[in-house]
Amino acid sequence: MNPIFMALVAIVPIAAGAVTAAFAMRKISITALDGMTRQPEIAPQLFTAMLIGMALVEALAIYTLVVTLVIAGKIGV
Amino acid sequence: MQLGDVWTVTTTGWVVLANAVLASAVLVGLGAFLARGKLSSGVPEGRQVLGEFAVDFFIKKARDMAEGHDRARVVGTVTPFLGTFFFLILFSNLIVLIPLPVVNRPPTSFFSVTLALALSAVIGNLVLAARFKGPGGALKHLFWPNPMQWVSEFTDVLSLSLRLFGNIGGEYMTLVLVAAVVPVGIPLILHALGLIPSFVQALVFTLLTASFLASAIHHEEHKKKAKRGLFGRKRSEPVAQS
Repeated sequence: MNPIFMALVAIVPIAAGAVTAAFAMRKISITALDGMTRQPEIAPQLFTAMLIGMALVEALAIYTLVVTLVIAGKIGV
Repeated sequence: MQLGDVWTVTTTGWVVLANAVLASAVLVGLGAFLARGKLSSGVPEGRQVLGEFAVDFFIKKARDMAEGHDRARVVGTVTPFLGTFFFLILFSNLIVLIPLPVVNRPPTSFFSVTLALALSAVIGNLVLAARFKGPGGALKHLFWPNPMQWVSEFTDVLSLSLRLFGNIGGEYMTLVLVAAVVPVGIPLILHALGLIPSFVQALVFTLLTASFLASAIHHEEHKKKAKRGLFGRKRSEPVAQS
């Protein structure tokens, strides 16, 4: 098969995963920062919750990374 | 160093093992150094401050989930459980900073290591839940209130291990690829940026394990509290007139 097409097969999923995860993380961090500036006294709890939420979102991007790595291994990049 | 090595343990098995042993040796040495000498029960000073600061966070976490249980027992069991995960993962991640070619491959950038960590976290959660609530209570948590709750144990293993592996392994791969193109200067910046995921991923692994554990050993008596009305007042209590 065309090598450029094969490279695209590996690149497009990770790009899509990264973009969607970035949008979700933007929402999480904006909301958490809003809450922290409004109520600085609960900032540590908010920070912990923000980290957990970000980790859950990030896991989805990591899944695409893993799938991309598997594809890249199959096509021998 | 081949990038494809991340999935296998056969070709680079000794690197994983040696680096994991190195990380734990550094950790044990540091722990022994912090706990050495006389410890005061009053106001701590010197190394003891650092050691207590490191342990304090996990004690707070354990104290939060100890409601409805024997508090001293829960804190005494859960704190080392969480603390071990955090510091082992942190030191494993930080191995990348050692400026030697083979030694600087973090063990957590191999899927086998993160899978072992996640398996021990989830199985440890089950064992701890069985210790605090009895085997029946721990089994009930797997099937109640949702009969498919046991599936989440498997997805927890997958998500914990893949998250850690993806972050640290991806960071390492970026480092290797960039260093192959520009060997001087730029890798330093990448190392500095890599400090953030090293800490955050160790923290996230520990926090997620803690929240799974908290939901596993959550006691049923909390339902009585939830029935109270606003401001913690019992519904039947008359509202005080002022």
